[in-house]
Amino acid sequence: MNYMPGTASLIEDIDKKHLVLLRDGRTLIGFLRSIDQFANLVLHQTVERIHVGKKYGDIPRGIFVVRGENVVLLGEIDLEKESDTPLQQVSIEEILEEQRVEQQTKLENEKLKVQALKDRGLSVPRADTLDEY
Amino acid sequence: MFRYESLEDCPLDEDEDAFQGLGEEDEEIDQFNEDTFGSGAVDDDWQEAHERLAELEEKLPAAVNEQTGNGERDEMDLLGDHEENLAERLSKMVIENELEDPAIMRAVQTRPVLQPQPGSLNSSIWDGSEVLRRIRGPLLAQEMPTVSVLEYALPQKPPQGPEDDRDLSERALPRRSTSPIIGSPPVRAVPIGTPPKQMAVPSFNQQILCPKPVHVRPPMPPRYPAPYGERMSPNQLCNVPNSSLLGHPFPPSVPPVLSPLQRAQLLGGAQLQPGRMSPSQFARVPGFVGSPLAAMNPKLLQGRVGQMLPPAPGFRAFFSAPPPATPPPPQQHPPGPGPLVQNLRSQAPMFRADTTHLHPQHRRLLHQRQQQNRNQHRNLNGAGDRGSHRSSHQDHLRKDPYANLMLQREKDWVAKIQMMQLQSTDPYLDDFYYQETKEKQVRDKRRKTLVIIEKTYSLLLDVEDYERRYLLSLEEERPALMDERKHKICSMYDNLRGKLPGQERPSDDLFVQIMCIRKGKRMVARILPFLSTEQAADILMTTARNLPFLIKKDAQDEVLPCLLSPFSLLLYHLPSVTVTSLLQQLMNLPQSAAAPAPSNPHLTAVLQNKFGLSLLLVVLSRGEDLQSSDPATESTENNQWMQVMFMATRELLRIPQAALAKPISIPTNLVSLFSRYVDRQKLNLLETKLQLVQGIR
Repeated sequence: MNYMPGTASLIEDIDKKHLVLLRDGRTLIGFLRSIDQFANLVLHQTVERIHVGKKYGDIPRGIFVVRGENVVLLGEIDLEKESDTPLQQVSIEEILEEQRVEQQTKLENEKLKVQALKDRGLSVPRADTLDEY
Repeated sequence: MFRYESLEDCPLDEDEDAFQGLGEEDEEIDQFNEDTFGSGAVDDDWQEAHERLAELEEKLPAAVNEQTGNGERDEMDLLGDHEENLAERLSKMVIENELEDPAIMRAVQTRPVLQPQPGSLNSSIWDGSEVLRRIRGPLLAQEMPTVSVLEYALPQKPPQGPEDDRDLSERALPRRSTSPIIGSPPVRAVPIGTPPKQMAVPSFNQQILCPKPVHVRPPMPPRYPAPYGERMSPNQLCNVPNSSLLGHPFPPSVPPVLSPLQRAQLLGGAQLQPGRMSPSQFARVPGFVGSPLAAMNPKLLQGRVGQMLPPAPGFRAFFSAPPPATPPPPQQHPPGPGPLVQNLRSQAPMFRADTTHLHPQHRRLLHQRQQQNRNQHRNLNGAGDRGSHRSSHQDHLRKDPYANLMLQREKDWVAKIQMMQLQSTDPYLDDFYYQETKEKQVRDKRRKTLVIIEKTYSLLLDVEDYERRYLLSLEEERPALMDERKHKICSMYDNLRGKLPGQERPSDDLFVQIMCIRKGKRMVARILPFLSTEQAADILMTTARNLPFLIKKDAQDEVLPCLLSPFSLLLYHLPSVTVTSLLQQLMNLPQSAAAPAPSNPHLTAVLQNKFGLSLLLVVLSRGEDLQSSDPATESTENNQWMQVMFMATRELLRIPQAALAKPISIPTNLVSLFSRYVDRQKLNLLETKLQLVQGIR
């Protein structure tokens, strides 16, 4: 912050490991290598982390260029505390499977809900299509 | 507000001159065509570069990866070779479902395959992942490669041994590929908005004639018109004249300001995408940099003549206008926005007092950074040095061969854009949080100054009390008392003129801050008798140096005159050299005998103020005393004094007869002083001007 006091800038965050949350719900972790005035990001050695419950899995993605408007938030990762997590890392297949199961459950619940509403003669609320998340 | 369906919708077309501008564009459009599809197109070598990158990645996992259970990989040249394969491979990159995501596949490769061997239909996808595997970068969990990846991206450079944090600023930019797709943006050797590589010697009048881009961009949702084009190259930003980004903290006057509508018109008219003005468009309007940028900035810095607009070398290569070796005549015909600029120019004299400006710290930082950029083009570990406190993190950065991919210059460029966006004169456009922090900082600074004044004041009271204590104390206690007193006097002086940690020389800032407060001025007047001659002289010089500003701040309090008598007392102890330089400072005389600046607002301000004029007269009187009492007429000090006096009298004669203040006292030897340097006629002039002769009042 002492680079530009009174402002928020990503310049101090360059070359540090960050966690980036995107608007489509993805979580990326990578080293922030470059930025621009639109907060477009260049992430290096990026990993997409999928969280399901207490488990997570990492998919290595290489270099990511993220358009600034798609970023919800980002934060620096403390490298020392990074491993200090109650979450359990699992393999990719496992986490994808878990994710699939989670999605399925969600869909089923949604179906039940919609059915219940229909039974009571209430209309189904339309999803807001702006954010897929 | 700024939707443009096509070029025709630009408001510029309402001007007659625009047609001419369009005609000119036709010629330049052809140039673009040439450059995109014809001989001017940049040959892309990205494949080569990528191949090298891939080789690097290949080497590293081979060294580190324990999971090389897959044995030898295919010695396939990937993206390195054949363009025929490219389309094929691209098709392979389409992800049908998650499990066919090559990234996932890659990661999964190392484990035994759970699914049944895919049929021939999917074999290509599996192959694709094999093929693409090589592109994979080292996993985050793995060790970092110790060699910079950039070394491999450069063509024809042998791989070098591991070297941490090599200076990467001189690397060639990777060559951009040309896309044969019609309608894509024209390819430039240096894309729009790229910070230029070299710091070209800037020339303000060396405007680049840049045509509007060929293509029509799809209508953008109305964007917030940025005060500055967001796509200014760093060099342009660095060297923007009259920018408050670069200014001295105390600029003398308030500059013209554009209303938001004019600003929007200017930005909107000169571009297709509002808020996305390219540096080329920016540059082609002569004087554009001067007026609206000045307009954006609340405080113009006059006389900042050295800063000019540099052309980006890449742009020059592209456009038909050959780069002039010497600055071209100032009046280059600007196509398009010309009439608009004329309008703005005519409205330049409009002033607005309620302007926001950049925090002085920002300006200082930017100025510093500018200096850094000019002196040295690189700054290793810029981010690391600045931000991190933990040593482990710093170590990590030191070993990180990918660090500083973003050059310091580029970081400064982004920072400048962000800071420029903070400037605005319209309270509706202001950044609330930024304004709040600024105000808070001002408040804090003032409070800090007040605290320092209070501390120094209590020291002063103690010191003044020492006489009484001395008399009351015992013989053996007295030396200790004397020491204490001396120590306190030193502390007082440090408080006034001490330097903050992190500065090489003490800056005037603290003293000036203290002198802006009524109590501070009175306190300084009381402290002066206790200081040593050198210390007091330093205070006097600082006061003289910053006098116009202090006068301005004193307008309400009018407490400065209390300083006159301690200063006068001090003057009688000062040697000729000091008095000479003091006079120079006071009158803002040029260092050499060169032609003076057209106006001397410093001197005018001094003369129009009671304290200023009185001080000046006292200084002159003292100088005259010294001179007349000095037997050796050929001494260097005398010569210096005479030189300065010549300049001084010239200034005094030159300065218009504005309403002079009434001095506290008029020394008697002034007439004899001036008579040494000017003839009878001018002497009379001076007398009447300064009202030296009593009878004329």
